[in-house]
Amino acid sequence: MKVTTHHRLGVLALASALTLTGCMSSGSSDEGEEGEGPITIGISLPLTGDFSEPGKGVQRGYEAWADYVNDNGGLLGRDVELTILDDQSNADRVASDYEKLINQDGVDLVFGPFSTRLVVPAAQVAKDYGFLFVEPAGAAEEVFTQGFDNLFYAAPAVADDHYNYLADAIEALPEAERPKTAAYAAMDDPFAMGTAYGLKTRLEEMGVETVVDEVYPPNTTDFGSIAAKIADSKADVVVGGTQYQDAVNMIVSLRQLDYQPKMAAFSTAPTNPEFPEAIGDETEGILSPTGYTPEADYPTNAEFVEYYTEREGTPPAEDEANAWTTGQVVAAAVEAVGCADPDPECQQQLIDWLRDNEVDTVVGPLTWDAEGRPEGAHLIQQYVDGEIRIVLPEDAAEADLILEKPEW
Amino acid sequence: MSLFFQSLVLGVLLGGLYALLAAGLTLYFGVMRVVMIAHSAFLILAAYLAWFFTTETGLDPLLSLVVTVPLFFVTGVLMQRLLISRLRPATLTMMSVLLTFSIALVIEGMLGFVFSGTQRRIRLPYSGESIELFGANIAVVKLIAFGLAAVSLGALFLILKMTQFGQALRATIQHPDAARLIGINTDRIAGYGFGLGLATAAIGGTALALDSTIYPSLHWHWIGPLMAIIVVGGLGSIPGAAIAAMLLGLGQSLLQIPLGTTWAQTIFYVALFATLMVRPQGFFGGRLAQRF
Repeated sequence: MKVTTHHRLGVLALASALTLTGCMSSGSSDEGEEGEGPITIGISLPLTGDFSEPGKGVQRGYEAWADYVNDNGGLLGRDVELTILDDQSNADRVASDYEKLINQDGVDLVFGPFSTRLVVPAAQVAKDYGFLFVEPAGAAEEVFTQGFDNLFYAAPAVADDHYNYLADAIEALPEAERPKTAAYAAMDDPFAMGTAYGLKTRLEEMGVETVVDEVYPPNTTDFGSIAAKIADSKADVVVGGTQYQDAVNMIVSLRQLDYQPKMAAFSTAPTNPEFPEAIGDETEGILSPTGYTPEADYPTNAEFVEYYTEREGTPPAEDEANAWTTGQVVAAAVEAVGCADPDPECQQQLIDWLRDNEVDTVVGPLTWDAEGRPEGAHLIQQYVDGEIRIVLPEDAAEADLILEKPEW
Repeated sequence: MSLFFQSLVLGVLLGGLYALLAAGLTLYFGVMRVVMIAHSAFLILAAYLAWFFTTETGLDPLLSLVVTVPLFFVTGVLMQRLLISRLRPATLTMMSVLLTFSIALVIEGMLGFVFSGTQRRIRLPYSGESIELFGANIAVVKLIAFGLAAVSLGALFLILKMTQFGQALRATIQHPDAARLIGINTDRIAGYGFGLGLATAAIGGTALALDSTIYPSLHWHWIGPLMAIIVVGGLGSIPGAAIAAMLLGLGQSLLQIPLGTTWAQTIFYVALFATLMVRPQGFFGGRLAQRF
């Protein structure tokens, strides 16, 4: 019995050793020839587990970006090559993945993973090795309060600033026309709460009274009681700090209770193509902040949309765009500084350059503060005539903002 | 006051749904001493089949029951005969946790593979409709789900009390050896009992799909509360499960007014701990659980 167990363990060890060497040789094939071989970029993404859907979106964006760069002469005249590992949405796994990418595979650059929970441990590893860390998703405040001096968030705004344009628009109204009361319901999640509470802070400053303030756990399946509280308050505005299913369930529950707000804003869900499928014709007037839309006329965006659509058959969504943006940001720094290697001096030059410069990306021109927070705001979209359109800010608007939401 | 009354109405509707979803779970345990972790995975599977049926045919999701109920019954019988009956009786309860856990994972994986992880919702013309009753709104979809629960639990009760099969099933639950002595084929009865439990999952899943957004891993959010319900109600007792479901559903809905959603959810686990401390065999029925 003992012998067979030993035997099995031996085979297992051999098999895993083979797999590991297989992985590593593909990662660091051209090491040694400094400046000659491709620029290798190490990434860990949640390709399985809780975040696998957005994780795969980010992967598509990264891969499309790499192919695009290689089709157009590469970076510093060298091809780029991605090594993507699967962290299974696991925070311990993501740290050891970056450790491996930097230490064993000897990658030249790293790109960030998806979502706050994974960005924080990954950024810590990158910081320990002095690596520049640009990340496509991780908008919650806690990402920027850990003392990372190497981190940059490649999107227009942090969670708290998502609704800034909407708050500005409400503030611009004559006092008599502003809403009087507001109800907030947010998922117990740093990103989702950040969006709703960012708007709450602004509205309270304007004197809009908070009549409901509910936080619910991510596993909430029944929204009847939350909807009952909101409906009972008869608030003028309802704000949902939501992901996806919670927003859809909440909206249906609110409709079942015949609650008719003058304004309804939900994060994330309304920009999802599945949303009108689920809600039907009652989407009219629903507001949502968005970090990206294929229609935006920023300089490189049209080319991105065309390249991506031809490659994947569908236009890019926000996850893909943020991944592409990450690529653009790092590439801009690399081209400007003229180096791309793991040497701490080169990495520090890249970090310093990004600290002081503006980068043109598919989500607009980006600049960052000292903690890596982007200094823009999100576009505000609204369902107008059954289509989701940009309504704010006015210079980017595709349709007029509907201030009095029709009944749903 | 109107918020209280509205929450009361919502709580009753929710309790009815909980009762339907938990009924099968307590039946498996009663008949077979099987802890069926995959019950909620089958609920989500039924919900997906209802969604798929409606998107493909455009017909009402309730019509999918014509297919899913017999399908789930047969699946249940086969699962019991081919898999669960092979577990050693001495370790059956323990090993059934492992076995059904793996079945839950397989179902979740298959749903993700076939339908992708995208979150789905059946689009119904009447999803936002409601009937007003003394100032409270009763959503039509929730009322249909409650009706389904009432009808199926009533039917289950009649089958168990009035038919010869029901008598044989109850005999099997109460004393398998004695049941065999008087000529009941307990193996076959257990298979049918399991099928019956899974058939309730088909109805429960369809009821669930009427008013919620579904995704493959949703079943993990359901299994905890459902397990708590059947323990509080007394393992193996269907009326017990129904009463516990109603009380906990009402409690959750009403506690949400003062405590908020997060704390209101803990009522299930508080009730579970209290039951295990004060009356481990459950508060209703549950003569059976004393033997464990």
